[in-house]
Amino acid sequence: MRLMNKVYAGVLAAGVGLTASAAFAGDIRVGITMRMVSENGQAYGQMVMDEIKAINDAGGINGNMIKATLMNDECKSDKGVANANKLIFQEKIHLLIGSTCSSVSLPIVDVTAKAGVPQMIPHSTNAKITQKGSEWVFRIPVSGRYYGGVNAKYVGENIGTKIAYICAADAASVGDCANMEKQMRARFGVEPAYRADVQEKEVDFRSHMQKIKSMDVDGILVAALAETMARALIQSYEAGIGEDVRRIGSSSASNAPVPKIAGDAAKGVFFTAAYAAADHRPIAKLFNEMTRQRYGIHAPDHDFSQAYDLVRIMEIALNNSDLALTDSSLAADRTAIRDAIASVEGYEGLASGPISFCAAPTPQCRDGNRTAVLIGYTKGGENFETEVLARVTMEPDFGLE
Amino acid sequence: MGFDFNSLLAFIIFGITIGVVYGIVALGISLIYSGLDIVHFAHGEMYMFGAFFGLVLAHNVGVPYPVALIGAMILTALLGMAVERVFYRRLTRAGGGYTVAGMGMIICGFGMSVALVNTAYFFFGAEAEPFRANLDYIPRLSFPGDIEVPESYVLTAIISVLLMASLHYFLRHTKTGLAVRAVAHNKDIAYLMGVNVPLMISLIFGLACGLAAAAGVLIGPMQSVQVEMGYLMLMKAFAAAVVGGFGSLPGAIVGGIMVGIFENLGAAYISASHKDIYAFLLLILVLMFKPSGLFGVEAKVKA
Repeated sequence: MRLMNKVYAGVLAAGVGLTASAAFAGDIRVGITMRMVSENGQAYGQMVMDEIKAINDAGGINGNMIKATLMNDECKSDKGVANANKLIFQEKIHLLIGSTCSSVSLPIVDVTAKAGVPQMIPHSTNAKITQKGSEWVFRIPVSGRYYGGVNAKYVGENIGTKIAYICAADAASVGDCANMEKQMRARFGVEPAYRADVQEKEVDFRSHMQKIKSMDVDGILVAALAETMARALIQSYEAGIGEDVRRIGSSSASNAPVPKIAGDAAKGVFFTAAYAAADHRPIAKLFNEMTRQRYGIHAPDHDFSQAYDLVRIMEIALNNSDLALTDSSLAADRTAIRDAIASVEGYEGLASGPISFCAAPTPQCRDGNRTAVLIGYTKGGENFETEVLARVTMEPDFGLE
Repeated sequence: MGFDFNSLLAFIIFGITIGVVYGIVALGISLIYSGLDIVHFAHGEMYMFGAFFGLVLAHNVGVPYPVALIGAMILTALLGMAVERVFYRRLTRAGGGYTVAGMGMIICGFGMSVALVNTAYFFFGAEAEPFRANLDYIPRLSFPGDIEVPESYVLTAIISVLLMASLHYFLRHTKTGLAVRAVAHNKDIAYLMGVNVPLMISLIFGLACGLAAAAGVLIGPMQSVQVEMGYLMLMKAFAAAVVGGFGSLPGAIVGGIMVGIFENLGAAYISASHKDIYAFLLLILVLMFKPSGLFGVEAKVKA
């Protein structure tokens, strides 16, 4: 009886195994982990899924379908790492897309490097992501090291050098502050007139603003996630700091909640980003229209454009990969996809500049977009408006010295 | 950061304006504790719901801000009374404080907190919502040293004082207030004296939740409104309640103001990155030297 039980169990296990293999084979499995806690986050997550569906509807990649699994990491590093592990070791994905927040992407880089899975970063800007030396990571957005340079150049030449810094504790803002500070020191030899390191979700900036008000600064850099930044901007005006003191936003300033929450306090704020809804290129106008119709977005920010560009670059790379797509070829397929992404050169989509990668696991090769666009808010509120102030392309080595 | 008197004055003023809001929420926590012998861990969510009710009334219904404030207080009071009647009543009936039922009440409070947060996510979404209020009729306050206190903070201080005075009058000078105090003192004796104890308990809950709602609506124009806003406020309010003396109503307000000032000074002169630590540092210091809190009753053991 026991022997028969073992036989049955063996047959069942083999059957389950075969079924699982059959389900895995033939598809290109893509795992996605993003911050999808806001309406915008859900919309660009959905947009990625819709674009992948469109690729499948058009016949897939060389006849193979893309099977995408979308997970929400809520911008929390523990959830992001758990998602990545689940996608890599349970779903056995060929490619990982993620994450939105730098604090989440940073630890995932270690996971993908160890497991040998190509990782495409859709939104994270922290410079350290590509400085870890992983040969599996590719960044679609503009690195914080370039943003810092562009901001510093514009601020120093057009606003002044007496700048107060409000720096929130999230990874992207810490990086943005450090880069700006470094570039202001390198270009103009100045230190911050005032610097406050605040918590990620700080709600009360009044004491800082009061102090800044008494210092007669030329500008205030607010480096924080969108909602925190909006609060700081409002409170800067409440403290009586006039419009003549320019407000400089970190990379999160492009996110729609900033003008939405800050209202009139967003007017005049400028920041660097990888996409401007005010872009006059036909492709940008079409994209704006598409996001408006499909997702009800008033003006897509660079999180949308980067997610869209990422899918296009992924499509190019997968089309150029020679994939066997069997269980035994998983490692080889992952390597082939990595090499195909590394060979993408001069991709021109919605991004502020062409995106190129190369094989070396260095920031010069893996920070794909080196062109930042400087954007200013001309109107805050629900129906916010922006203008493009400048477009600057940096050298690959910039910010690494 | 260097020291100058004007900055110090500014930090203290800002500390007081945020401190009174902590105080209002702490007042509700103390009111519930003194009346029911329980610590209400879902009180931060009542504050959050109050803020959202105010937002909906002001933005969607279009009522003026003061009306939205009163409306939110009434709606949240009703929500609090419903929660007490439906979920807490069975546990509070079995006793509070250090009893098994008291422990159950604490756990139930945590569960209610999670349930309310998720309910709020369902109805209001995850995004922070700006609470725009026309406060042009409120003057800005100016202090020496170019210190300006914005309208929203002035209004917060005024409303807070009014609420405290009204609560004091209600508890001290009305028959219902006397009944509430009798229930807080001893439920059994109050019952024997003819007081409708369950009704008074519902009233206490409603009052406490209404106060939390007022704090939420007052803080809305300063900090925007979002689902997760309750947790940190609850922690600060707990610190305020403990510093002032748990169960003491004047203590809650004084504790709130002390927490507000202490954290502002800590952020200004020590490190702004660890602002939330200072409230709890103050709490520890007070507990070390006066375990019952500044206005607490010595050796008051609830059982």
